[in-house]
Parts: sequence; C-alpha cells; structure tokens
Amino acid sequence: MTSKLQTTMSKIKTNFFLLIFFFPLLLLSQEIEISTSITDALKKLDFKNEKNFSKAQSFYLKREWDSTLIYSMKELDKNQKNELSDYCHFFRGHCFQIKKLFKEAKFEMNLVSKKFPFRNLVNNKLGQISTELNEFDKAIYYFKEVEKRINSNSKEVKIYDLYGNIGVCFLHLKQYEKAEEYLFKSLKLQEKKNVDSDLITLYTNIANLYYVQYKDQQAIPYFKKAYILSKKINSFQSKKNASQNMAVVEENRGNFKDALVYRKEFDQWKDSLNNQNKIWAVADFEKKFAVTQKQKQIKVLEIENQLKNSQRNWLFFSAIGLLLLLTAGIYLYAQKVKNSKIILLQKNKLDELNATKDQLFSIVSHDLRSSVNALKTSNTKLSATLETKNYDELNQLIIQNSGIANSAYSLLDNLLHWALLQTKQLYFHKESVHLFSIVQQIEYNYKPLLLDKSITFENSVSKNSFIFVDLDSLKIVLRNLLDNAIKFSNEEGKISFYTQENQPAFYQLVIEDTGLGMDEKTIKEILKESELLAKKGKSETIGTGLGMQLCKQMIKKNGGSIQIESELHKGTKIILTFPKTEQNG
Amino acid sequence: MDNINVLIIEDTPEQSDALSKVLIANKYNIVGIARSYTEALKLFYEQTIDIIVIDVFLDGKPDGITFAETINIIPNASKPFVFLTSSQDRQIFERAKLTKPFSFLMKPFNELEILYALEMAVEKFYEQTNVFFSEDQNTVIGNDFLFIKKKNALKKVAINDILYIEVEDRYCNIITEKEKFVILISLTKISALLDANKFIRTHRNIMVNSNKIEEIILADNLIILKGNHKVNLSNTYKDFIKKMNILS
Repeated sequence: MTSKLQTTMSKIKTNFFLLIFFFPLLLLSQEIEISTSITDALKKLDFKNEKNFSKAQSFYLKREWDSTLIYSMKELDKNQKNELSDYCHFFRGHCFQIKKLFKEAKFEMNLVSKKFPFRNLVNNKLGQISTELNEFDKAIYYFKEVEKRINSNSKEVKIYDLYGNIGVCFLHLKQYEKAEEYLFKSLKLQEKKNVDSDLITLYTNIANLYYVQYKDQQAIPYFKKAYILSKKINSFQSKKNASQNMAVVEENRGNFKDALVYRKEFDQWKDSLNNQNKIWAVADFEKKFAVTQKQKQIKVLEIENQLKNSQRNWLFFSAIGLLLLLTAGIYLYAQKVKNSKIILLQKNKLDELNATKDQLFSIVSHDLRSSVNALKTSNTKLSATLETKNYDELNQLIIQNSGIANSAYSLLDNLLHWALLQTKQLYFHKESVHLFSIVQQIEYNYKPLLLDKSITFENSVSKNSFIFVDLDSLKIVLRNLLDNAIKFSNEEGKISFYTQENQPAFYQLVIEDTGLGMDEKTIKEILKESELLAKKGKSETIGTGLGMQLCKQMIKKNGGSIQIESELHKGTKIILTFPKTEQNG
Repeated sequence: MDNINVLIIEDTPEQSDALSKVLIANKYNIVGIARSYTEALKLFYEQTIDIIVIDVFLDGKPDGITFAETINIIPNASKPFVFLTSSQDRQIFERAKLTKPFSFLMKPFNELEILYALEMAVEKFYEQTNVFFSEDQNTVIGNDFLFIKKKNALKKVAINDILYIEVEDRYCNIITEKEKFVILISLTKISALLDANKFIRTHRNIMVNSNKIEEIILADNLIILKGNHKVNLSNTYKDFIKKMNILS
C-alpha cells in the first residue's frame, strides 16, 4: 500500500513536474521563433503614424512585457479595428501568458481576428494556455487546428513540440494510446534534431506514459535514458527531476539500494539547486547592495557637485563684486584726483586774487591815503593862507589841490574799473569810435595839468580814423597813458598823439612823450603777462602798476595790442593797435 | 538853420544846470528840464524835441530807462537820446541796452564828451554812422530835418523848408526861402536818403522840392519855385512832369 501510495504520489509529482517542465521548454522555443517571424512581418507593416504601436512593438521585441502592455492598451484605446489591433491583442495575450495570467491571456488571444497571418501561432498559444488551465480537450482542439494547417518546415511552431504537447494532453486525459502515438511521433522527429533538454522531457513524458499504465518494463529504460541524458546537461532542475524519478522508480521496484543512491543524488542536485538559488539570491542581494552603494555614492557625488557648483557661483559672484568695487574705487579715486586738481587750481587762483586784493589794499592804504592826506594838509594851509589874504599863493594852492584831487580821482576810477574787470562786472560794448574826438576829449580834462607843466600837446590823429572798440575802456586807457606821459614829462616837454596805418585792418595810435623814458627791464616788467600788479619802482609814481595793468587788460579785451619803445632820458613811445571799423556804411 | 531842441531828464539841479549851461553855450536849445518820469513824458508830448538827454537814475530808481522804453514803444514818436550814468553796473546796462538806439555817457563828462555823445546819438538814431566826424560829410538826413554840423555846433533844417538842392562837387547848396548854405554830402547819398517823390532831379546837379514848384516853363527850360527862385530844367530829366498831377 505504502509503495502504491508512493507511486501515485510520485506519478502526481511526475505529472506535475511534466507540466512545469513542459512549458518553459515550449516558451523558450516559441520566443525565438516569434522574434524572427513576427519581426519580419512587423518590418513590412506601415505604422509610422502610430506612435503607441511602434513603441509597443519595440518593447515587445525587447521583451519588456509591462511596457508592451501599456502601449498596446493605449493603441487599442484609440484605435479602430485594423491589422494593428490584431497585433496588439496578440502582444497582450503573449504578455499575459508570460505573466501567468492565463485567463486574461486566453481572452486577448480570442480577440485576435481570423485574418491574422499568424493564426497557427495564436492557436498554439491558445493550446498552451488551455493546458495551463487544465482544459485539455480544448487544448487538444487548438493543437489539432494547428496540426491541420501546419507544414513540416513551419518556422512558427515546431512540429515535434506540437506532437509532444498533444501527447501530454492525451496523457492527462488518460487516452494512453493516442498519447503514445503522438509522443513517439514527436520522439521520431526529435531524435533527428537531438536536442538534449527537449529529449529529456520527451523521454520523461514517455516513461510517465508507460509508468502510469504500470508498464514498468517499458517505462524504466526511458527514465534511464532521461537520467543519462540529464548527466550531460547543466540544468540542475533536469538533473534533480531525473534523479528523483529514478529514485522513485527504483524504490517502487524494491531496489532500495539504487533508490537510496538516486535519492542521495536527488538531494545533492536539490541542494545544488538551492545553493544555486541561494548564491543567486546572495548575488542578487549583493547586486542590490552594490546598487544602493553606488546610488549613495552618486548621491554623495551629486551633493559634492552641488557644493562645487555653489562654491563656483559664489566665487564668480564675489569676483564680479570685487571687480565692481575696484572699478568704483578707481572711479572715485579719479574723481577725487580731478576734484583735488580743480581745488588746487582754484586755490592758486584764489591765492593770486588774494595777492591782488592785498595789493589793492596797499594801494588804497598808501596811495589814496597819502593823496587825501596831502589834500587835507593843503586845505589847512589854504585856510591859513586865506587869513593872510595872499591871493597869489591862494591860487597856487587851489591849483595844487585840484591836481591832487584829480590824481586821487583817477586812481579811484582805475581801482573801480579794475575791480569791475576782475569780477567780470564791467559792461563792454564795442562800437565805432572817432579816435580824434576821443583824444580831444581826453586832452580836455588834462588841459590845466598840461598848462601847469607847460607841456605842448599835439593831436595829429587822422580825422578819418574810426576804430571799433568799447568807448569807455578806450577812454580809461588813453587817460592813463596821458596821465603817465604828463607825470614822466619834464617841464616844457611835448606830448603828441598820432596815428599810423601799417596794417589794413588796424590803426596804430602812438603816444609819444619827451619825458624820462624807461630801461628795457622796466618795459619788460610792465608788459609781463600777469593778473598781478607789477611792483612799483618808485614810491612817488603813484598807482603806475594798477594803471598799466588796467590798460593792458582793456586793450587786450578790445582786440588790440600795446608796444613800448623807450630810451632813458629821451622819451617814450607807446604804440597801441586797435581794429578799424569795417567800412560798409 | 535852427538850433537843436534838447530835453534834459535829470533829477539833480546842479547837474542839469551845468549840462544846460554847456549845451546853451554850444547853441543848443533847451526845451525843458524834467525831474521825473511823468514830468519827462509830459514835456515830451508838449514840446518839439530833437534830442533827449536822460539820466538813468531818477530819485534812485532807473526811471530813465523806463522812459526810454516808453518812447521806444510809441510808434514814430521815438527821438535820439543819450543816457547819463555814473554807475557801470552791468545789470542796469543789460536793461538799458535793449532800448534802441542805445548810447550812453559816463559821468563825470566834459563838454566835448557830451557834444560827441549827442552827435553820436543822432547818427545812430538815423543809422548813418561816421558822418559828423568824417572830413567828407557833415549832414545826417532825418525824417523831417537835416542835421548839419556847422563848425562845432549841430544845426537843423526842416526838409519842408528846402526849395532846391544844388550839388557842387562834394558839396551841396541848400536853398530855402530865407537862406542859402553849404553842406558836405555826396549827391548819391543825399538822393538815396531823401524821399524820391518829394525831391525831383531836374538837372544833372539840381534836386527840386516838388512841393515848392510854382511854375514850369518848358519853353525856357525853367522852373519857377516859391520866392521866385528860378531853376534850370534839362531835357534828360523832363520825364518827371508826366508823373505829376497837372491841373490844366
């Protein structure tokens, strides 16, 4: 009983084993075939416009089942029925089959239309799926459909596999004769091909066929054949199954010794398989660990990179900031330098002006003060003389007083004009001026003085000379020069004003006297270009510096020039050049 | 020839007295001395005036400039004028400069200077510069008067009084009903400046005031003017008769 029980158990086991073993084998061979025949078919199809389908098929060919499912689903969702949808259903069926979702697989496969060019393939798949679902009758029906249409050289379905599958189905249905027939058909074909792993399965199947029918004598050689073949191949699973089968068979025969040997071998293969599994698991774990390690490293690197990036950015921005700071600094420094330059210039000018101012004060305090003081004392003398009623002396004093007043006045006038000129407040308006009349007008004021010194005055200025100048500044110039000429002339001297016409656009006015004259040094001193007043040479020549300075500036402002020719003790010639009035009216 | 009428606008009596003394000595006719702006304006309208002497500051205010500005605005009323000023303040000058024609005299001034300034003012006003001081000209031709410099004095002759002008070389003989005198001006200049409809060329060197013509005797080539002055008429210049409105 026990042995019987064991046999049935083993049978069940073997059956189970058969089934397990059966399918991977089929699948393996099928997959290769699909890639060749379906790829060819797919190449011919035009699906460029169908993005989803093109993705689905490429994923299918790459055996990425999940992606294939997603994209074929998308394609089916929007797609109207056509050739492509058949492919999609087929892809989905195959994928579900591989995922062991057999009901779904069956459903999808049934949706493939009858026109589908790979009908055999579909039926074959349906057969396999039905087998998996233990619907052996249906399976046989599908397989037989394939068998009807197939030709011996079919690439889609290997005929010996088909026969084998039919055989197995019959075996499950306990139609042993038919099973035997198909299995041997398959064997006949397979022995030609001589693929070990396939043969092992087939041998085991045949052995099982006999063994189930208790035809032990026929069964055992096939088990043995399978066992011997299993030694040649590397699959632990095959070795394990083969040795287990042998162990069961020997045990049932009562050959416990052999059975023990086989059992041991079976255990060994099982361990190996386990070991292998363990090794794989460990390897897998290691791989995972390595991956996580790598990921960690990557993360660290990423963080480092980020850090570097931020560092670089920081460096960059700080560099820009520094550059800006530097530019600003340079700019500010340049501005400062410029400002200080301006300030220095202003300071120099201020110094100059201050010096001028000081001189002004000295003139005012000395010259003017002494003039007014002289007037004061003269007046005291005048009132004293008035008491004595000495009219001759009185007259003399009055003349003297008026002379002092005149010189003080002209000094004041010069001061005023000079101040106006310095502060740029002087009104300046050029117009046509009749030189002769002006000389006459100037002379008019100095008549008493000239008379006093018995100086002959001669105005031989051309009556047709019109010059284009500012009248008042011209008057100041002439007044000062005449004043000087009188001052430096001896009694009975001669002062003459006359014009020369050397240049077409200018008149030369010459003021000639027969007075003291000057040496070269004094002339140079007088003509020196300076805002400052020239130092006075003699204390009695009051305000000379100021007057000459004023003259020079006024002449310059009028667009004229001044020249001095002089000889000591013989006289001085001052030559002024002024622009003519343009003759056009 | 008449004397020039001068209006003096000056608030300081001493200065105006001195000024009027000088001007009278030089044969100018003082028609009035105004002390203020309103007084000046009143005199300006009442009197026949040829030249105005204006003190810039009247009672401390630059009313002199205001006066000049006023007569500048009134059309055809403006006369030659001279500013008197003792200040060279630029601001005042900038304002005074805007009055046309602008001429000024700094105080203190002597006799020669004021005379020069007056003559310059007349020249500038009638836009005939460099006349009185050049040697070949002594007359400025105004709208109603000829301003003539005789020796050192400035005189005037009403243009309407002139009967005819006889040109002689660089001189012109001016013949009025009462007198006859010589001025220094070229024929081209005088004929350019005088009203061409009033003064008509009747001879190569004679210009006749058309208003004074009494009779034209074509047969004798004679023109009889007021006061029985007879002037020759040459054939070349007879055409002017066509332009005249002849009553016959």
